[in-house]
Amino acid sequence: MSRNFFDEMHDANGDCRAHYREFARWLAETPEEQLAQRRREADLLFHRAGITFTLYGDEQGTERLIPFDIIPRSIPASEWRIVEKGCIQRVQALNMFLADLYHEQRIIKAGIIPAEQVLANEGYQLAMRGLNLHRDIYAHIAGVDLVRDGDGSYYVLEDNLRTPSGVSYMLEDRKMMMRLFPELFSAQRIAPIGHYPNMLLDTLKCASPMDNPSVVVLTPGRFNSAYFEHAFLAREMGVELVEGADLFVRDEKVFMRTTAGARPVDVIYRRLDDAFLDPLAFNPDSMLGVPGLLSAYRSGNVVLANAIGTGVADDKSVYPFVTDMIRFYLSEEPILKNVPTWQCRKPAELSHVLANLPELVVKETQGSGGYGMLVGPAASSAEIEDFRQRIIARPEAYIAQPTLSLSTCPTFVEKGIAPRHIDLRPFVLTGRETQLVPGGLTRVALREGSLVVNSSQGGGTKDTWVVED
Amino acid sequence: MRLSISHDTTYHYDDQVRTSIQYLRLTPHDSERQHVLNWQLNLPRPVRAQLDPFGNILHVLTMDEPHDDLIISASGEVDIDEHCEAEHDDQSAYPYLRFTRLTQPDEALREFAHQQCNSHRDRDALIRLMNALSERIVYTPGSTKVDSSAAEAFAGKSGVCQDHTHAFLACARSLGIPARYVSGYIYTEDAGHLASHAWAEAWLSDAWYSFDVTNGLSRPERHLKLAVGLDYLDACPVRGMRRGGGVEQMHAKVLVSPTLSQSQSQGQSQGQTQQ
Repeated sequence: MSRNFFDEMHDANGDCRAHYREFARWLAETPEEQLAQRRREADLLFHRAGITFTLYGDEQGTERLIPFDIIPRSIPASEWRIVEKGCIQRVQALNMFLADLYHEQRIIKAGIIPAEQVLANEGYQLAMRGLNLHRDIYAHIAGVDLVRDGDGSYYVLEDNLRTPSGVSYMLEDRKMMMRLFPELFSAQRIAPIGHYPNMLLDTLKCASPMDNPSVVVLTPGRFNSAYFEHAFLAREMGVELVEGADLFVRDEKVFMRTTAGARPVDVIYRRLDDAFLDPLAFNPDSMLGVPGLLSAYRSGNVVLANAIGTGVADDKSVYPFVTDMIRFYLSEEPILKNVPTWQCRKPAELSHVLANLPELVVKETQGSGGYGMLVGPAASSAEIEDFRQRIIARPEAYIAQPTLSLSTCPTFVEKGIAPRHIDLRPFVLTGRETQLVPGGLTRVALREGSLVVNSSQGGGTKDTWVVED
Repeated sequence: MRLSISHDTTYHYDDQVRTSIQYLRLTPHDSERQHVLNWQLNLPRPVRAQLDPFGNILHVLTMDEPHDDLIISASGEVDIDEHCEAEHDDQSAYPYLRFTRLTQPDEALREFAHQQCNSHRDRDALIRLMNALSERIVYTPGSTKVDSSAAEAFAGKSGVCQDHTHAFLACARSLGIPARYVSGYIYTEDAGHLASHAWAEAWLSDAWYSFDVTNGLSRPERHLKLAVGLDYLDACPVRGMRRGGGVEQMHAKVLVSPTLSQSQSQGQSQGQTQQ
């Protein structure tokens, strides 16, 4: 494997990049003991705040602290503006794609994307066919996962249009950095992100045609891995956090049970997958949803954010078509690149994938969270063989991509400071317009050489700075 | 053929139900092969009709006053065009290629489908599949449960019309043929046979064709369609939830009779809503 990684802090000669100079100077001046003490303080504060993450696949359902690293990921503002434009462009095209798919299907008629590919997809919901949404917005909240290859250029790894999580870590990481190291924020201009909850509330209200709609956050409950975030966002926005049992439907309208009687609900920021929303329409075993919710939604009496059926647009088998969507709907060239993708459902691409497994990353088309994924260069030959059999059994369920080298950022590890691989998830909100707060969530793979940054796979987070240059 | 339907469902609860909600697909709509002359749905309170995701007529009945019984009755008259064998549709059939928990084929079902149809994807091949499934899964009331999957019924070699239909859907979809679940009524002279019924439709090049595995019928001459969906859960006539109520007793009475102009023959049958 090539060692050609792009380091966020240092250039190829080992010199500090301009937007990191202020931080590097501070790091060199600050005594090691003081840093160590602040890091312990950070751990303690995060623990006390209950910022934890439940690990799936762990029988105990252990709640674990997501490791926080005090070395920020920094992006020069001029570079950020391009990334920002690229994310906005992408999410606009994806929303237009969803509106088209559930109405005229122009993109299918134009022969750009095969009908079967999207219409037979599990993420495509018949419940959305012909349904008109206010402002034609499907993904009100999107998370775009970005990585940088060896030459530093940004690639979109995947789009998250269902219930993207992680924004609470973005906000808490910033709060922590400002608390521990206020001097860093007075020495340079770091773009603020604290207005995200307001922007989110505004986005949710805009999703309804009503003047001042009542908004709630619907959580699957405290056993969900992102429960902390659901509670956090409800509190920050000043709206109710509810579970399915707190809501009910009467005559196709949604109400919340309160001590003062039933209160109408107009917008639901739901952090619950489609299949669990309404046990009378989807998974009948779901105790998490609200019986009758789909009838209320289809009658136009309540807004769900995100809409039902967005999963068809962030499916990994649809991902290769996103750049064409941008050209088709916006008549623009994509600003952000897609990673070249082989679709195992195509026989020719399947044989290429099977012949090159040790060099490739293989993902399940419907998977998320880094489960069920093969990183060829890091896998044992037994793991590769196991995956080979799984791909042969269900080729349509897999795609493969070249292993990107993923940029690195200096990170505190046991033996001091060492480079670790990172990614970036900006959160893109669509209401009256499409917008985002500067930066996003930076995830870091803490194991040396690891390319998997998901918190479920032992990843940590960093504060993300957009620094005026 | 003109069918006259009377379908009463009575729920009685041991304890009071505090609130309940039902998705009701008990109203047929006009199509190429059926014309609804009149239809009444009698519910404890007035409810607006809407279309569900599959285009079925849906009534959502919410009851938030305590109650200890619930009576739902549907009745009406429908003309069936016995000569119409297929129904056209301007919506894509691709969504009906998707598997659901109830229609997920296992290796045995995939192989069975392949054995019956080989490389053929036409109506004759599906008729062979229909007959083979009917032989393989013996009609045995009470042998399966309402949430039994196609694979379970196939392995157990017995089931009812719901299982027959699920097995057919699993096989057809595994062959790449879009197929959907139909719930409705059937008229049979055999009074022992139930009148609420389920069968399958498969999309062959340009239209939906019917396959009634239980009765070995590929022409839906005596079938009145209520609703369609990916499986039983989407299309079943009544799907509900309640808070409180304790043990439930459900009685369903279905009468399907042909109202010929001379009106000599009267067939009738009754029983549970779901076979």
